[in-house]
Amino acid sequence: MTALPEQAYAASLAGFDLMSVHRLWALLRHHRPAEAFAVASGEAPPVPGGLVARVLADDRVRAAWRNSARRRQPERVWQRCLALGVEVSVLGDPTHPVLLARDPQPPPVLFSQGDRSLLDGRRVAVVGTRNATAAGRHLARTFGNGLAREGVHVVSGLARGIDGQAHAGVFQAVTAGAAGRPIAVVASGHDVEYPSEHGPLWRRVASDGLLLSEWPPGAVPAPYRFPQRNRLVASLSEIVVVVESRERGGSLITAQMAAERGIPVMAVPGSALSRAAAGVNALLRDGSAPVVDVCDVMVALGLDHTRSSAAMIDAADGRVRPRPTDVAAYRVCAVKASTVGDVAEAIGCPLIEAAMALARLEQGGWLAHVDGWFEVVGSPFPCS
Amino acid sequence: MIASVPSATLLGVTGQPVTVEVHSGVGVPGFQIVGSPDSSCRESRDRVRAALLSSGLAWPNRRITVNLAPSGVRKNGAGLDLAIAIALLVADDQLPAEAVEKYAFVGELGLDGTLRGMPGVAPMVACRPDRIAVVPADAFEQATAIGAVDVRCAYNLLEVVSALAGAPWPDPPPPAVCDDHLRVPDLADVRGQPDARLALELAATGGHHLMLVGPPGAGKTMLAQRLPGLLPSLDAVAALEATMVHSAAGVLMPGGGVVRHPVFRAPHHSSSMIAIVGGGSSLLRPGEASLAHGGVLFLDELGEFPAHVLDALRQPLEEGVVRVSRASSTATLPARFQMVAATNPCPCGGGAPGECECDQAARMKYLRRISGPFLDRFDLRVSVSAARVDDLLGRELGESTAVVRDRVLAARALAEQRSGKLNASLTADELEVFAPLDHAAESLVRREFEAGRLTGRGLHRVRRVARTLADLRGIEAGTAAVAIDAETLTMALQLRVTFGSSARVRVP
Repeated sequence: MTALPEQAYAASLAGFDLMSVHRLWALLRHHRPAEAFAVASGEAPPVPGGLVARVLADDRVRAAWRNSARRRQPERVWQRCLALGVEVSVLGDPTHPVLLARDPQPPPVLFSQGDRSLLDGRRVAVVGTRNATAAGRHLARTFGNGLAREGVHVVSGLARGIDGQAHAGVFQAVTAGAAGRPIAVVASGHDVEYPSEHGPLWRRVASDGLLLSEWPPGAVPAPYRFPQRNRLVASLSEIVVVVESRERGGSLITAQMAAERGIPVMAVPGSALSRAAAGVNALLRDGSAPVVDVCDVMVALGLDHTRSSAAMIDAADGRVRPRPTDVAAYRVCAVKASTVGDVAEAIGCPLIEAAMALARLEQGGWLAHVDGWFEVVGSPFPCS
Repeated sequence: MIASVPSATLLGVTGQPVTVEVHSGVGVPGFQIVGSPDSSCRESRDRVRAALLSSGLAWPNRRITVNLAPSGVRKNGAGLDLAIAIALLVADDQLPAEAVEKYAFVGELGLDGTLRGMPGVAPMVACRPDRIAVVPADAFEQATAIGAVDVRCAYNLLEVVSALAGAPWPDPPPPAVCDDHLRVPDLADVRGQPDARLALELAATGGHHLMLVGPPGAGKTMLAQRLPGLLPSLDAVAALEATMVHSAAGVLMPGGGVVRHPVFRAPHHSSSMIAIVGGGSSLLRPGEASLAHGGVLFLDELGEFPAHVLDALRQPLEEGVVRVSRASSTATLPARFQMVAATNPCPCGGGAPGECECDQAARMKYLRRISGPFLDRFDLRVSVSAARVDDLLGRELGESTAVVRDRVLAARALAEQRSGKLNASLTADELEVFAPLDHAAESLVRREFEAGRLTGRGLHRVRRVARTLADLRGIEAGTAAVAIDAETLTMALQLRVTFGSSARVRVP
């Protein structure tokens, strides 16, 4: 009992019901964590007239906190952190990242797993919609891969769609010996892997990269936690790249948070007709810089990077140019994702010929076949 | 005095012979039915009494016991009314016993003595092949549909009594005009959508189960409705089985009489498991899967069907029959149908990638409602895109049912001749013999395997479809293709879409 460090109390407080960044910050500003815990659980008086006193005047909060104090005993939370290898840093501790301490809304308590020295490297966020097209996922993977190869760490939120693909791309590069690593900020405890299908990715980020959270082990991914998580993604990055986003979405919150903090936001342009690109196009209209490949990000980072000529990209691309006969099919899919039947009708050829053309294009890496639809992926083939 | 008259009752889709015995003796006047009657059977006491009296026949003022033998079998329905009435008349000496000995009686009585038809006349008559069947006039067509039994009919009880006494039997009603085959919608109405049309043609040819995925209004139902028109007429055995099922279920037989053409059944997704596979506490009524025997079972909004209902279809899909068992009885119902399913790609109706409003989790949840093993039964899984305006404005009609049907029949004959069965039921060993891959196709398969897009089981399915496609292409080109080339295989691969593949993340 006596050996319990102050951080254990802070870790427990961070998981309280009805706890917000402001409330936690107010508690920890006036008290040492152990005292703060006593205040929150109703065993010690709050500073009169302060935010905490006002909050505790509310019966609902008082009851919720007293209840949380019973359920989230500091010893238990601390044991869990130790078992998982999660480090707890309270704002003001030497271990609390300077980067985040300078944020207008710093995380009062931060839970981390992995290599915190990654925060000293160059960092770019790659974020986007959970409901991504094959083209968007491909692009996210390409960005993750390309940035990691240049030694840049990739910050993201481990969500479905773009986020997960960006980190999957980083690991492709890591396997090939690249220096860049993934940094993930999640909206739940370190042991609550969400979404569950990202479990392997989650664990690999924790072991080979850095996994950050504002919540102690056991915290569930409640909806209100995602916007808070997005603020940290923005805050940790030098540049935020939005790959694909709908008219409203979490990635636009990240972009807004970044803009408030003076962090440059870059967006990948999409077709004006595509709903999947509505959000990014809106960002571009509002003045974000367009980005089409990793070179653009590297230039924006001010890293010395020779801009490749178009011919070099083509050569570096590694894809075999499509046959002239297949270009017509490619062009149909470039306008809009299409089924085999759509393509055959549009170019007026027998179904089997269209099927063969599409299969060759997919084999060549120009198209992706998803749920019966063919979409253009990668840098477009100049076919007009 | 004792009389016994043969009749039948129904269990599942088969008739069970029942002998109606009547004992008329001295004692307190009364009437009792024994031998496991259900409630509608027990009520026949009141119907028989009223029918006799209103037909001007005498009601014996004696102690009457009716026994339905064998007494262990549960009897249901009102089909024993006529037999009970006749046996009663014999026991009461109003009819001579010799007059009835050649006959078996099936039919329900009205209070005024009219004879009414009821479900299951065909199988009931079929289980008494040694007797001349007497049935209600409105069930005459059903009863004669099976062919093998001599059938008489009458409109009311009095006609039966006088015919048994020597008068001529009444004439049967004129047969209904059978034009149901002309009412099948034509494939020419489907404009555009070459891939969905091809899938439909392949399904008709190879007997492959077909799944159509596409946004509302893409024409999924329209396509499915045109499948029965492409299929050949039922052979004698299947036609008889289908007729029995329709009769037993009390479903009006198309055009009256025998079910000769494949039927189209489209149960709503709120249907219960019993309604789909058949059952019930005592009657064991055939369900939609059996009614679709020899035809097409169309499951619209597949994702909305409860999972346990779909999984219950797995046995009939595998074995072609449904075995329903209850505490008191067991029945085997024929259920060899071709399944066509339609579903939206996601809750909002969606469409092409990037068009829909649902997030990935909702899409996955929607498609995951269909269990993997069930999804696996569909050899053909096709994305259908919404019809294009050019097609709707209709420059030209598509190929008509008649044209496609000729091709289908020729290819089916080819498959029958080669392997004695449809391509959809080729086993893995038979595929090696009947569907060899040429060199290019083999390297294509290898590539798909390495990319993780094809599994061993998936390969068999694709090969079956490729065999069917090769047959159809051969017929069109006038050559017989033995090996499957890369083109055919590519097309087959694209007609077997893996849904929900978009959510996978591979961690290197």
